[in-house]
Amino acid sequence: MNIKRALAVSRRVFMDLKNDKRTLALIIIAPLFAMGIFGLAFSGQISGVNVIVVNDDMGMATPMGQVYLSEIVINNLDPDTLSITTMDDVASAVAEIENGNAYAVFYFPANFTNVTILAYNQMTEASTSVDIHIDMSNVNVAEAIMQAFNDAVQTTMQQRGLEMPVTIDRQAVYGQNASFMDFFVPGIMAFVVYILTTLLTLINFVGERTSGTLARLTATPLRESEIVAGYAMTFSIVGTLQALLLLTVGMLVFGVNVEGNVGLAFMVVALLAIVCQALGILLSSITHREAQAIQLIPFIIMPGFLLSGVFWPLEALPLWLRPFSYLVPPSYAIDACRSVMLRGWGLEMIWTDVVALIVFAAVFLVLAVLSLKRRG
Amino acid sequence: MLSMHAIKVEKLDKKFGDFKALDGMDLVVRKGEVYGLLGPNGAGKTTAIKVLTGLLKKTSGDAEVLGVTIPNKDITQKIGYMPQETALYIGLTVHQNLEFFGKLFGMDKAKILERETELLKFIDLEKWRDELVANLSGGMKHRVSLACALIHEPEVLFLDEPTVGVDPELRVSFWNFFSKLKEKGITILITTHYMDEASHCDRVGFMRSGKLIAEGEPQAMLKEAGATSLEDAFLFFARRDRT
Ligand SMILES: Nc1ncnc2c1ncn2[C@@H]1O[C@H](COP(=O)(O)OP(=O)(O)OP(=O)(O)O)[C@@H](O)[C@H]1O
Ligand SMILES: [Mg+2]
Repeated sequence: MNIKRALAVSRRVFMDLKNDKRTLALIIIAPLFAMGIFGLAFSGQISGVNVIVVNDDMGMATPMGQVYLSEIVINNLDPDTLSITTMDDVASAVAEIENGNAYAVFYFPANFTNVTILAYNQMTEASTSVDIHIDMSNVNVAEAIMQAFNDAVQTTMQQRGLEMPVTIDRQAVYGQNASFMDFFVPGIMAFVVYILTTLLTLINFVGERTSGTLARLTATPLRESEIVAGYAMTFSIVGTLQALLLLTVGMLVFGVNVEGNVGLAFMVVALLAIVCQALGILLSSITHREAQAIQLIPFIIMPGFLLSGVFWPLEALPLWLRPFSYLVPPSYAIDACRSVMLRGWGLEMIWTDVVALIVFAAVFLVLAVLSLKRRG
Repeated sequence: MLSMHAIKVEKLDKKFGDFKALDGMDLVVRKGEVYGLLGPNGAGKTTAIKVLTGLLKKTSGDAEVLGVTIPNKDITQKIGYMPQETALYIGLTVHQNLEFFGKLFGMDKAKILERETELLKFIDLEKWRDELVANLSGGMKHRVSLACALIHEPEVLFLDEPTVGVDPELRVSFWNFFSKLKEKGITILITTHYMDEASHCDRVGFMRSGKLIAEGEPQAMLKEAGATSLEDAFLFFARRDRT
């Protein structure tokens, strides 16, 4: 292996990418496009959900005057999530759900304050409840409504010095104050590098095969391993630059926060790029024309999309499908980048992912070199 | 190893499946010789060159270049190969192509630039140095391809139809250039379908069905065949071979 010749190949691929304005645009714009579109689509903060309150609460007379616990709960409902209107009777409020104008009705009965306070002071055996009528046809919206209501009740209890029989105290181990984008950017960094590196190498290499340049190289001192090394150098650098670009825009535009060592995350991305360029070379050996390469694209994108965990957690996959995610290299890179950037983990914690990527790289690189050595 | 032969081929076979593209080919090209390989489409000229340059594996037989059994990576340093198809990086400029091939042969920047200036002048494309190869005409691409094969001053040149698509004026200057290379002691194995060009060769070999059926100096071939043109001479030898 002669490093100078490998560098010559690397430089040649760089210039190929640089001279072609469309490819250059693809390298720069596609990652940002993917981050913007998917980021906005999936960030899905639920807000402005129409709910109706029907309040029959009579309150309770106390030395401080008449108290209405229901009013306090209602005031504590998150005004961003819920858009609240009031009505007088439950029947017509529920009718609003039925005709699709509202997602939920909260009904506070007449004895709500009275029974709550008496029961708390153990002066009655009676109990009271808030009736919630809810449209469960959209699970995410229903969940957001229940979450908002529970939060309001808890806040009210605390404000009034009432104690709940059980309190739930959630402490974020990782990701305190993490936004969706904080979570999303590390994943999309690795995902974009996976897709683009594989595709660009595939296309570049099919070009080498069809134009006859690859054959011509055989008649020069250049060795197969140097070709693969040259491509690996270029694409690991291009991949790292793409990740850097994504992260920079993520930080400036989406206010992304990073916990851990970004350099480590970039190293993982570069490693992934090496795996993917070898994959691209391998795939090019089973295609002979550009049209065939294009037919391969869905087979590159879909597994990455579904099985890498970039959009859906692997826990959301059916059990039988999960083992397949181990076969998809970006799974490891995405997991590693998230662990580093969200949890602040170091190499000692993500080493399993790194080892998996190194194994993939070693196997694919050897196979890529062998596929090039094969000749008629 | 010292050898008078630049290229030596004995009983060379190359099969594609059951089809014999080379069928017991024998060929000797002496050092410093310009040898023209002639023959109809499909005769096996390109296949022979591809085996000799290491692109294809021979099926059986012996093949040596500069005394070294082929395939051998070390010998590539001394050979130049211009493929039949214009195998260039069309996304790179003329200069970038030349530079890339120069580096593969271990040349330093200064040496590459020096050779580039010479070669661009010879192929008359000095003005096109920084143009993308994709934007050149077919004949121009062919000229760049030839320059890429020559960048490292090889000792043995394999030129597969180097003058296809090149205009007549430039073809003449190509052949003048080949004569100059010959004066420097460079061996050239060239294929062509232009019989007028073949008469510039020191010797020509006629190929048919993967075999060499006749060879010799162009004038001697004409004489032996009693023909006035190499076309007619080829037909004569082809008939003789069949019987
Ligand atoms: N890769 C291959 N697979 C199968 N057959 C092949 C392959 N390459 C060449 N052949 C066959 O081998 C024979 C010789 O082809 P070759 O290209 O050597 O001919 P040629 O003398 O160079 O012809 P031309 O003058 O058209 O360039 C042809 O019949 C061709 O179809
Ligand atoms: Mg040919």
